[in-house]
Amino acid sequence: MKMVKAEGLTYEYIKLLETDHGTEEEKVAALKAVDLEIQKGEFVVVLGHNGSGKSTFAKHINALLEPTGGTLWVKGMDTKNGELVWDIRQTAGMVFQNPDNQLVATVVEEDIAFGPENMGIAPEEIRRRVDEALATVRMEKYAKHTPSKLSGGQKQRIAIAGVLAMKPDCIVLDEPTAMLDPVGRKEVMETIERLNKEEGITIILITHYMDEAVRGDRVYVIDDGEVVMEGKPKEIFSQVERLQKYGLDVPQVTEVAHLLRKEGIDVPADILTVEEMVGALCQLKLTI
Amino acid sequence: MIRDITIGQFYPVDSPIHRLDARVKLTMTFIYIITLFMINSFVGYLFVIAALMAEIQVSKVPLKFMLKGIRSIMIIIFFTAFINLFMTRGEHILWQWGFLSLTVEGIMLAIKMCIRLVLLIVGSSVLTLTTTPIQLTDGIEYMLRPFKKIGVPAHEIAMMMTIALRFIPTLLDETDKIMKAQQARGADFDTGNLMQKAKSLIPILVPLFISAFRRAEELAMAMEARCYHGDENRTRMNRMYMQKRDYHAFVLGLIYIVAIIGLRYASNIFPFLI
Amino acid sequence: MSIKINHLTYIYNLGTAFEKRALDDVSLEIKQGEFIGLIGHTGSGKSTLIQHLNGIITPTQGEILLDEENIHRDKAKLKEVRRRIGLAFQYPEYQLFEMTVYKDVAFGPTNMQLSKEEIHANVISALETVGIAPELYEKSPFELSGGQKRRVAIAGVLAMNPEILILDEPTAGLDPKGRDEILQAIKRLHEERGITVILVSHSMEDVAKLVDRIIVMHEGKAAMTGTPKEVFCHVKELEAMGLAAPQVSYVFAALKEKGFDVPLDVYTVEEAKKVLINLVKQVSV
Repeated sequence: MKMVKAEGLTYEYIKLLETDHGTEEEKVAALKAVDLEIQKGEFVVVLGHNGSGKSTFAKHINALLEPTGGTLWVKGMDTKNGELVWDIRQTAGMVFQNPDNQLVATVVEEDIAFGPENMGIAPEEIRRRVDEALATVRMEKYAKHTPSKLSGGQKQRIAIAGVLAMKPDCIVLDEPTAMLDPVGRKEVMETIERLNKEEGITIILITHYMDEAVRGDRVYVIDDGEVVMEGKPKEIFSQVERLQKYGLDVPQVTEVAHLLRKEGIDVPADILTVEEMVGALCQLKLTI
Repeated sequence: MIRDITIGQFYPVDSPIHRLDARVKLTMTFIYIITLFMINSFVGYLFVIAALMAEIQVSKVPLKFMLKGIRSIMIIIFFTAFINLFMTRGEHILWQWGFLSLTVEGIMLAIKMCIRLVLLIVGSSVLTLTTTPIQLTDGIEYMLRPFKKIGVPAHEIAMMMTIALRFIPTLLDETDKIMKAQQARGADFDTGNLMQKAKSLIPILVPLFISAFRRAEELAMAMEARCYHGDENRTRMNRMYMQKRDYHAFVLGLIYIVAIIGLRYASNIFPFLI
Repeated sequence: MSIKINHLTYIYNLGTAFEKRALDDVSLEIKQGEFIGLIGHTGSGKSTLIQHLNGIITPTQGEILLDEENIHRDKAKLKEVRRRIGLAFQYPEYQLFEMTVYKDVAFGPTNMQLSKEEIHANVISALETVGIAPELYEKSPFELSGGQKRRVAIAGVLAMNPEILILDEPTAGLDPKGRDEILQAIKRLHEERGITVILVSHSMEDVAKLVDRIIVMHEGKAAMTGTPKEVFCHVKELEAMGLAAPQVSYVFAALKEKGFDVPLDVYTVEEAKKVLINLVKQVSV
């Protein structure tokens, strides 16, 4: 089943420019005819540098933005249909970049209850969902804490729990680790992977960190509002120079492999992890 | 530094007062404040003080915490005392200088006003020290609900209070950070005259406002993404239930009111109670 | 000029129930012209340490000597200390407030009561160093991109002509392009101006590329110090402190374990390439 489908998805906005002749209007296209399909249960990564249009795309999935051209369906629902807005937001939850600016309540469990409360769910059911969501992100101990005293990674896990309590089929995460330290990033990435593997929730992760992108099932690279690459992480990251052209990095080992290949040393181009690199080097020694 | 300011001064112990429904506590505090202005005799104040002391005992919050609030309004108390002492006209003039006069009536009034202010602060501290901010906002929302018909935005007021409480620590942290950053660029907040001091606040206030607006925008989007659309069809996880103890508290409150009214009439009949 | 830190201890909320020892008897020396990488996970004390260097926090115990003089000895001189030791906080773009880029960068030097000509020279030179084009000088800083804003904010510290520049997580939250621009600017100012730089970072890859010496903070102590080569071969110890070495270091640690004769102190892509080519050639001969 298709969780998200975009056909010719276009988003244009008017930017006011201050020039010598007064204010001028300029039409900017943040998304240009994007076509893509994401299946239920997939872990899809959307990569791109800042200003590439990846965040704009994310906001479309949650019906926070309405396309100016083309169509986006979430589980078959057209995001342009105003009547479906709440269903769409419940189906595709969203986690944002800044952990401080998305928590509403002064107590953790009250915050997680916020979504279900808005959906008009019965109090007993909300209680059940809140406890379940807290357990899923492994934050039971913090139910009565105040969010402002938590670490960035913990806040982000609370934000994820807040979305989980709405029982979504899909979660869109817009650079959820950009403001976290390595420990927080690890916590969040582990949580995301668990949700995908164990709960079967479709994950759409927007990021510019390569080590995170490597963990997805499939990667879309967005540049200047267009999908420029699509494929499995190995297919994408073996194209080192092309990625660098789009202002993106590759993992250090992938870059090393790329440089070795250029020197005529026969290592695979799609090395992504330390283990693969070590394995390839051992292989090389054995064959010679 | 600035972070040391404590907001939301809830004192976390378990006591009969803590367990009361926030709505009961709000109503009682409201009634208490009204009675403070009904009383006109020292005997009446003695009665209120006794009742308040008993309540504080039951609440298990150290008296020290209750009295903390007084310190912050010390200036107001002195000012009130001063105005009442010297501006009250009366028959028994003790001393006069220009428009300032010291009268027996003035002294009496000043003492009463000061007692009234102190009782007001300590009494409402009992409410804030024994009720969590969340219970308080929920209580306010519930009690304002009947006034919605005449256009009181009950839900919105409660939501605004919640968000304010949630963001106060965040913005205090941010202020601290911005102050340090500007200090590192040689900004000086301590010296200079009033004008220079006011001007030195600009490098703090501008970034703070910009950041607050950015946060507000992001929060609004995050709330929308979580299906927030006002209080239409909105449910709550924690419902408020009135329990036996809450009704008992109400009865005690009624007895208190009757006693106050009784004292007021008593002082009319027996003026020696003053 | 040099900085000496002698037995520095700092306790937050001293005398209350929330007492927390953020720095515990730290002694360090930083020499003129060094490029230092300060690493450690959140709560290791690195932020507290750099705020001490700038005189924003006063030590609970111990002292900080700038050219052999305690920076807190003369309160009147503290402003001068803050000029000499520039500190760019994390997310420095949040401190921008002026109407134009130029005015914002001029805020620091104006506070230092420099002459108009000096201020102008400092501002222009700082903006050039961080790579902000002249046509942006009269723009509002809030119109710029995230990476540009951050470079302007760093220029604001640089314009005070510090002898030491401390940067707290200058690349946090930036994309690879923004990050590279900042790091290039930092490298340039270290090379061109010869000033001492202390780079606080979570990114081992960034640190590995740039610095001469690394100081690892852990639980309020300076746990390790040495050149990147010396520090990054302790992969296991770093892991135990919640840190990671650059990915390449792990490859060499694993190769060594498998019995290959490889050096352990390789941590950049370029170096790895050289060593591995040699290794393969050796084998094939």
